[in-house]
Amino acid sequence: MSARSGWRAPRGVLVLGASTPLGGELCRTLLKDRSLGAVLAVGREPREQVRLPEDARLTYQRVDITHARPVHDMLFGAARDLGVDVVVHLALHRANDFGAPVHVQNVESLRWLLSLSDRHPTLRRLVFRSHAEVYRVERGLPSVITEDHPLELSPDAPQWVRDRVEADLLACAQMGMAAGLEIAVLRCAELLAPDEGSQLHDYLSAPVCLRSAGFDPMLNVLTLEDATEALRLAVYAGGTQGTFNIPGADTLPLSACIRLSGRLDVPVPGPLLAPIYEARRRLRGAQFSYRINRGRFHLAAVLDGTSARRELGYEPRHRVDWPSTRR
Amino acid sequence: MNAQPAVLQSLLGRARRQLASRLLAEPLEHMRSIPFRDAGHGYDVFGYEPLHAALALAALEPVYRHWFRVRSYGVEHVPARGPALLAGNHSGTLPFDGMMVWTDIVLRRRRLPRMVADHFVSGMPFVSTLYARGGVVGGTAGNLRVLLDAGELLMIFPEGVPGISKPFRERYQLKEFRVGHAELAIRQRTPVIPVGIVGAEEQMPQLARVPVHAFGVPYLPLPLTPVPLPVRYHLHYGEPLHLHEGLRPEDADDPQVVQRAAERVRRAVQALVDKGLRLRKGVFR
Repeated sequence: MSARSGWRAPRGVLVLGASTPLGGELCRTLLKDRSLGAVLAVGREPREQVRLPEDARLTYQRVDITHARPVHDMLFGAARDLGVDVVVHLALHRANDFGAPVHVQNVESLRWLLSLSDRHPTLRRLVFRSHAEVYRVERGLPSVITEDHPLELSPDAPQWVRDRVEADLLACAQMGMAAGLEIAVLRCAELLAPDEGSQLHDYLSAPVCLRSAGFDPMLNVLTLEDATEALRLAVYAGGTQGTFNIPGADTLPLSACIRLSGRLDVPVPGPLLAPIYEARRRLRGAQFSYRINRGRFHLAAVLDGTSARRELGYEPRHRVDWPSTRR
Repeated sequence: MNAQPAVLQSLLGRARRQLASRLLAEPLEHMRSIPFRDAGHGYDVFGYEPLHAALALAALEPVYRHWFRVRSYGVEHVPARGPALLAGNHSGTLPFDGMMVWTDIVLRRRRLPRMVADHFVSGMPFVSTLYARGGVVGGTAGNLRVLLDAGELLMIFPEGVPGISKPFRERYQLKEFRVGHAELAIRQRTPVIPVGIVGAEEQMPQLARVPVHAFGVPYLPLPLTPVPLPVRYHLHYGEPLHLHEGLRPEDADDPQVVQRAAERVRRAVQALVDKGLRLRKGVFR
């Protein structure tokens, strides 16, 4: 496990959202470090439904983080007993649902976590996985997005976006405020993988992909491997806090994304897209919402990863395994 | 899932690209000889792509050579490498002036000038995509900083829309310069090369401006002629101005310093325009 000199190595890591593909992969990666004392994996599903490795240092707990008491008991029970000093939060609601329970999972649970971590006897560091969708994409704003780029604070934004922005701001606002807690917020590019709540993945799962005629914006997508590596580096970067963009190794136009996914690319007049995709969402139960992606489907928005490269040593290395390039 | 139409589309797309590569062999070779920062799939992060740029070059070169019969002077002032800002006068109802400077530098200097467009351009369907593929970028400080950090050459028209839309009677009288380019040049310690463009003012006299704001455009120009007149373009590149000399990067925050620097650029451009007007023998010669 490579770690920079000066970084404080973790003793135990709590992974919230361990039942997601990214959470599982992170647990597996962390366990490769023989010096790591414990990994406390937390998910909503029963243990037998979660694909995690068998390892004496791995403890799985089924916790519903939408209730404050179980979160408290887990933190001041198993986490304290295992000497967990780093929490990785990956547990935002992945489906494009809305309503109060979703908001509680996305925002309130993080609020509890921050509040409890502040007085926790062993926790020292929180790594929060945020999303590139928190950034506002509109004309007049840079196409290459640095961490000081404006956030999407429009009240008209869908809850999917508003919750992510609120959670991100909540974590950022606590940065440097809590005496004994370091916070690293990783604003990850679109993670193009199944079961990760990727809007683009759902969009590309349809045999025909409609896009706005006359627009072919540049996108950046992330792989599971690179996202895991970014999180691992953030776990090990004890002493470093801040907000970091995590771009992927694939930067390409939307039309190329569609082509490489082996889908039919059909440009249609822009105003038709919202109703068509809303109908698809309602009728087919699809996740993709054109309202969430409107800006990125018209204007280039590519994350600048300079800070993550400089501070965390993160460099995207894994390209997406595009279906049309497989032999 | 029936993937046949997608496969067919992909094959057609590949065939189209191969055909274009063959038909555009010469301009494509030229564009490929100009280095660019490939972000992984043949495009840079702003959407520039050599094949589309070759198409633009193939379309613009005949206009450059035979329609506007461009003559350029002092192109050696444009550095062969490293970050630099070109600042020129803007005119002519439609931005052929920018296209001619782009073609001139691509052909004669083998560099890719990244034309800086106003914000509304990125909202225009088709135009935004075509421009991006040719290397045009939106004029935000963030974009320009990234490009200068990467050692790129930028082309800016500091007059903006008021320059290109001025009435015929005000031709060759420069409008007020915006100051963003001067601030950037001081902060990034980048030379500014003034460019005087003569000929564009007469190419397409503007009759009126129709107040249509579709896709965020400021107006719809109504030109006297449907196509530009075959005026002769004269491009005069001046010696680089080192606006940052004697200044610290943080001086770029001083409004008076920046205003003075922008005025210095404006005067240099106006001097080149005046020189070009003195030297030319007529609008079409």
